[in-house]
Amino acid sequence: MAAAPSSAGSNGPDRVLLVDDEKALREPLAAYLTKQGFAVREAESAAMARSMLRSEPADLVLLDIMMPGEDGLSLCRHLVEAKGTPVILLTARGEATDRIVGLEIGADDYVVKPFEPRELVARIRSVLRRSARAETAPALEQDYGFENWRLDPLKRRLTDPAGAIVAISSAEFRLLKAFLDHPRQVLDRDRLLDMVQGREAHLFDRSVDNAISRLRRKVEDDRSDPQLILTVRGGGYMLAADVTRLDPVPAEAAE
Amino acid sequence: MRSFRFWPRSLQGQMLLAIALALLVAQSIGAALVWRAQVERSESSIAHALAFRIIGGALRSEGMDMDRRDARRVLRALRRGDEGPHPMRLVRGEDSGRIDDERDADLEERLAEILAAQSVEIAELEVFRRPVKEDPVAARSVARRLERDIGDPGPPRTVIVAAARLEAGDGWLIARTFDPPRDRGLGGSLILQTILIYVLLVGAVALLLRRITGPMSALTRRVEQFARDPTLPPDGQVAPQGPLDTRRLINAHNRMESRIGALLDEKDVMLGAIGHDLKTPLAALRVRIESVEDDAEREALVRTISDITNTLDDILSLARVGRPSDPVETTELSALVIGVVEEYEDMGENVELGDTQRVVLPLRATWVRRAMRNLVSNAVRYAGGAYVCTAKRDNQAIVRVEDEGPGIPENEIAFMMEPFQRGDPSRNRGTGGAGIGLTLARAIAEQHGGTLTLSNRTDGKTGLIAEIALPLEPKEKPRGRG
Repeated sequence: MAAAPSSAGSNGPDRVLLVDDEKALREPLAAYLTKQGFAVREAESAAMARSMLRSEPADLVLLDIMMPGEDGLSLCRHLVEAKGTPVILLTARGEATDRIVGLEIGADDYVVKPFEPRELVARIRSVLRRSARAETAPALEQDYGFENWRLDPLKRRLTDPAGAIVAISSAEFRLLKAFLDHPRQVLDRDRLLDMVQGREAHLFDRSVDNAISRLRRKVEDDRSDPQLILTVRGGGYMLAADVTRLDPVPAEAAE
Repeated sequence: MRSFRFWPRSLQGQMLLAIALALLVAQSIGAALVWRAQVERSESSIAHALAFRIIGGALRSEGMDMDRRDARRVLRALRRGDEGPHPMRLVRGEDSGRIDDERDADLEERLAEILAAQSVEIAELEVFRRPVKEDPVAARSVARRLERDIGDPGPPRTVIVAAARLEAGDGWLIARTFDPPRDRGLGGSLILQTILIYVLLVGAVALLLRRITGPMSALTRRVEQFARDPTLPPDGQVAPQGPLDTRRLINAHNRMESRIGALLDEKDVMLGAIGHDLKTPLAALRVRIESVEDDAEREALVRTISDITNTLDDILSLARVGRPSDPVETTELSALVIGVVEEYEDMGENVELGDTQRVVLPLRATWVRRAMRNLVSNAVRYAGGAYVCTAKRDNQAIVRVEDEGPGIPENEIAFMMEPFQRGDPSRNRGTGGAGIGLTLARAIAEQHGGTLTLSNRTDGKTGLIAEIALPLEPKEKPRGRG
């Protein structure tokens, strides 16, 4: 059940550094993560985290944004630029701007307090898996373009040919991104599940077909006659569009 | 005031109109008084002139018992009254000479009074006016006067005839005088005078009003802008100007604006702190709950934590709804709504998606999503399920959430959108929620220039319909970020 995920460099359990000034959260969370098979160290400030990382690096840093002294965003920027250590931000505020700022400075993911502990674990594993595959920032810098649609992978923002934002869930985002990374290729259910799973529990329960159906609701003009995401006989799906990489539109020019 | 199309609505217009009306009334009263005094004077001088003639005649006639001295005194006294410009000879006659001329009761009365005061006893008295050309005596007098060419403002047109029959004598004494022409220039000069005063007054008042209304309208514009968006930078404040009263008003407003801005900033900081201080322990609790062995117990605790979190989010959102920090973006509404419905499907709730229509409009997605969640949660909580659809109607985007619950009594519908009201008066936590969800949904609809309306179903079933209508065009131009 709680088998230790395979890690990039070492053979031991993944080393997670948990940075939060609130002892009341830090301690139970560290205990929980340890139970889930991670090697967890705790730091109560950014300064302490820096010194602990100097003595021994971590595979992933869980970082609270609001801390006295140096805040989480500043430490995050340092970690991402200097060491390329993956970071998941913990934030108390759910405002969209906070998330975007976090992702823009290079955090790999964020969770909003209070979070589902199981979801946090799923996200940690997903980020570790990606960093093991070295799927890092460069791929995120450009937008995907297809059939005049545009997907901003950083902000997870999909815009239709008319420039209107089409809201998609993170599961749908990952599914769409999987298609965009493999345009005009037939992807079977197992392959899609492998590329998409790992962050949201419900995707394990839900069939890929259901996720496809939901994505179609948002991107197809007529769901009963899909033009973009085609069903391939023999059990797979294919994106029927060419994908280009585009420079991101400046935020203000979207209007 | 709508019924008067020309009723001015501005301070300046109303003031100028009021001055004009007051001036007109005052001048009219003045003119009426002058006119009456003039008429009075003229009537009395006519009466005296006629009395002088008649008394003179009476003294000369036989049987009048008055000694010479008395007669001279009387005549002297009467002469004081103006005799009139054109004396005409007294005529004696067998009758009054009146044919069908109308009698002047007022003059008769005045004349009778004067005669009585001089002890001239009159048996009959008739006073009447007639045109000069119908009266031979007057016509002759005018003709004579024209021969002599007296420099005069034109010949009189009317003659006043007084015929008296004395108690003592027989036959009538008939006196005549011309009716002096009235001053016709009075009306014209009055109007001219009124206009002159009005122009002077209006000029002065307009100058003064300009000094008041200029700063006032600048202040009004600023207040309107500030009401729409209290995050305006303070350098756009109106500089104090105009008379002292106006300056003080502007100063007071500027101080209030700064104070409101400071309060709002303070509130944001405080809410951030509250959010952080409550959510961190909630997160700790949430983590600890994972170690609870009993599944049912753990589920219950998880639900409680999530209820608390939702309520906290609603409260924080309601407090921030007037100052959203995220920008308005062109968004496809139906995808947003479908996403919310899917969240509830994932939780195993009975939420059904009806017809959806693609509608693109400028909105703040995180807020609209929250409003949608609140409406759907409400339906799920009180009716066990919801039916959601979107449409475009009259340049508005409509999102409709229907349920098949008990609905709300008509008289409580408005009440339901006030904070902390719930359909269930027991405030039982079992039915969940702090009752802020509808308030927040309405506030979010209004943040987007739209509305939230609640109504009971009228299609034969019971149930509530919650409908959010958002304008397709933003009412105010969306300002970039912040």
